[in-house]
Amino acid sequence: MLPRAIKRLLHRATLSDQSYRFMFDRPPDDDVVVIDCETTGLNVRTDDVVTIAAIKIRGNRILTSEHFEAVVHPDSEMKAEAIKIHRLRQSDVEAAPIVWKVLPSFLRFIGSRPLIGYYIDFDVAMLDKYILPLVGIELPNERIEVSRLYYDRKYGDAPPNTSIDLSFSAILEDLCIPSLNQHDAFDDALMTAMMFVQLRDLALRGERIARERTNAVFNPTGA
Amino acid sequence: MPKAFDISNAPYDRLAPGEAEMLRASLDVAYFRPGEVILGKGVPADALHVIIKGTVEERDAAGLVALLGHTDTFDSRALVHDQNGHTFLARDETLCYTIPRKVALDLIRSNPRFAAFFYREISQKLDELANDEEAKRYGSLMYAKVGELFLHPPAFIAVEDTIETAGHLMRQIDSNALFVRDGERVGIITGMSLSKAVVLRRESTQIPVGLLASFDIVSVRRDDFVSSALLLMTKHNKRRLAVKDGEQFVGILEEIDLLGFLAGSAQVTAGRIDRALNQRDLAVAAREIEAQTRALRRQGVKVEVIAEIVSDLNRRLLSRLFEMVAPHELRSGSCLIVMGSEGRGEQTMRTDQDNGLILSAPVDAGTLEAFRGAFSGALRSFGFPPCPGNVMVSNPAWSRPLPEYLADFRRWVALPDETAHMNVAIIYDAQAIAGNAQLLDGAKAELIDLIRGEQAFLAHFARAIDAFETPIGLFNQLITSEGSGDALDLKKGGIFPIVHGVRSLALEQGLREASTDQRISRLCELGVLRAEFGRDLKQAFRFLLMLRLDGQLAASAGTSGTLVRPAHLSSMERHLLRDALQVVKQFREMIRHHFKLTMF
Repeated sequence: MLPRAIKRLLHRATLSDQSYRFMFDRPPDDDVVVIDCETTGLNVRTDDVVTIAAIKIRGNRILTSEHFEAVVHPDSEMKAEAIKIHRLRQSDVEAAPIVWKVLPSFLRFIGSRPLIGYYIDFDVAMLDKYILPLVGIELPNERIEVSRLYYDRKYGDAPPNTSIDLSFSAILEDLCIPSLNQHDAFDDALMTAMMFVQLRDLALRGERIARERTNAVFNPTGA
Repeated sequence: MPKAFDISNAPYDRLAPGEAEMLRASLDVAYFRPGEVILGKGVPADALHVIIKGTVEERDAAGLVALLGHTDTFDSRALVHDQNGHTFLARDETLCYTIPRKVALDLIRSNPRFAAFFYREISQKLDELANDEEAKRYGSLMYAKVGELFLHPPAFIAVEDTIETAGHLMRQIDSNALFVRDGERVGIITGMSLSKAVVLRRESTQIPVGLLASFDIVSVRRDDFVSSALLLMTKHNKRRLAVKDGEQFVGILEEIDLLGFLAGSAQVTAGRIDRALNQRDLAVAAREIEAQTRALRRQGVKVEVIAEIVSDLNRRLLSRLFEMVAPHELRSGSCLIVMGSEGRGEQTMRTDQDNGLILSAPVDAGTLEAFRGAFSGALRSFGFPPCPGNVMVSNPAWSRPLPEYLADFRRWVALPDETAHMNVAIIYDAQAIAGNAQLLDGAKAELIDLIRGEQAFLAHFARAIDAFETPIGLFNQLITSEGSGDALDLKKGGIFPIVHGVRSLALEQGLREASTDQRISRLCELGVLRAEFGRDLKQAFRFLLMLRLDGQLAASAGTSGTLVRPAHLSSMERHLLRDALQVVKQFREMIRHHFKLTMF
């Protein structure tokens, strides 16, 4: 595997559509963006993206009012409709019909900001599948893995043989973040954003998350 | 656009769907680290915050005012009045939705009901809650259980018994219907069918009831809803239903009692007390009073009205019992009084016996002793527990001639100690309920005269308001320790300071009113309290009483019901509880200043 910095240089050179040069601009200070994709499965090669959501974080503010959200996987009726109108072959439709319309605005929305996510590499791999044919490169953005930040805060100094739980629900519970329970890309992105701002602050203050909680964690949702 | 933002949370539940969408679309989420100031004193707020997680401290110059938690909104004052006297800071890692100032103000302009939450003072906010609740509870009356209604006892008579026997039995058990057993069959016979047979058809009173009984009875189960009982009556055109618990007949439900329950039947209970022939009748009525409270609360009747009705019923009951138990010489030459909360008319559930007797002149020791035992004993058998402080007729110190009371008054005022203060408070709240009311009037006039101008006495008297802290510090623990046994004592933390502070001011002014509500009104008229503050104080007091009543109803029997768990309240109620406790805190400071308590 190529080091990411070299890959970036290479990508800049191979960018097929020069109007996407902004992807290599210096990101605005203090800005990051959380992304989350809902997919039909976990296999990058055979599964599809269903919805994409992205929310910007500026400083300690999660800018939900300016989020990006798009459904890209058409249901069957829309597929038939799309064939009639666009005279696309079935295989083209299945590949990524709406993604082509959605991706440019998605790319402009995220810009060159660092990408935050929970298992971000999977989401990026899913998106790259469509982005590569569109602009000739993969996403060059820096990636920040929330479960990694959590691991550092909670298990960074753990003795060997500590059992490790990096599940989404374990992180929510440890950070006392109410589960939004919506199971869609936007809400998952929002919960990830909430995790990120708190974990980043804990790291800045050098605070750790206790591994053995002696007292019960208060869950304000009562769940 | 967080769909997870809960618009069922007050006041957002008042937004129209379009408005709610606009609100959601405008939301951001902000993170605050522990100790971070969210809203500084004197800084105009650029947003309204709704807490997602974490705890926020609200502080004024004097210190902590309140702690806010999940779903709480702050700070409307900073937003609409542009003037923010309080500082808000995050106690722990806190996430809040932020509603931009412009959006909040637009919604306030376009939706008056939403606006009311932010603009109106506490008293109106509370009124609005009461109205919302009224709507909510009205329907629930139909979902009461049949077992909660007044049921006539299930008395059985054999099919071969005569009309005459049936008539006597009906009278004996004060019921208009009996079950008739005919082998396996069970029927019902009513007073009306007996009279019809005898008067209209000129039957002999000696014919067996089996000929008159109706065997197509309709029955409900004890745990059926009241609505289904009503439906059955209508459908089968029946005036009464048999009530069963499993295979067992447990009572007869009369249409009149069902309708009485739905219409609010305090007058039925009152009538029962007035008609009572013996103590057993009174015992039945006494049991009904509690059911009455429950029904009234369910109907959405305001707590002050419930207190009035319940106090009236309790007083009627005591008065009727007095007539039954007291010999003639006592009835004419004495005055039966109730004291404490019963005297103030602020009791919503059955209370301890807080009663006494003022005699105009000494009476025969034997007669008096017999009465003391009989009266308190009867009340105990009705389910009124003895007063823990022994303030009741059975205690010779609270049933004696007027001159002896007056001698004690002088001693209490001259050489006050804690007991003296408590006794003054108890007797000052007294109300006459039977016998010669002038005896109590005279005693109170004397007491007020003795205390007039005794500033040192009054200051010591008022000092009891500091006995318990306003539980705002404790409050936090309650928000954050879910499920544990912590709770907040409404009586110590809120109700008592108001009652006693108002009592102290009233005593100073020599007021003759006994209820806290009326005392506040008079104090406002006299200019001792500012009119707006008086209104807030009254509303806060009523709200606390209502929370206590709900606690009592939930706890039903056993506990005092004055403990409330903020975690179990709705966010609106918690918001109001905080407001009410703030008023208590303010009032306390006013009392402290008024009686110069800081010098102690």
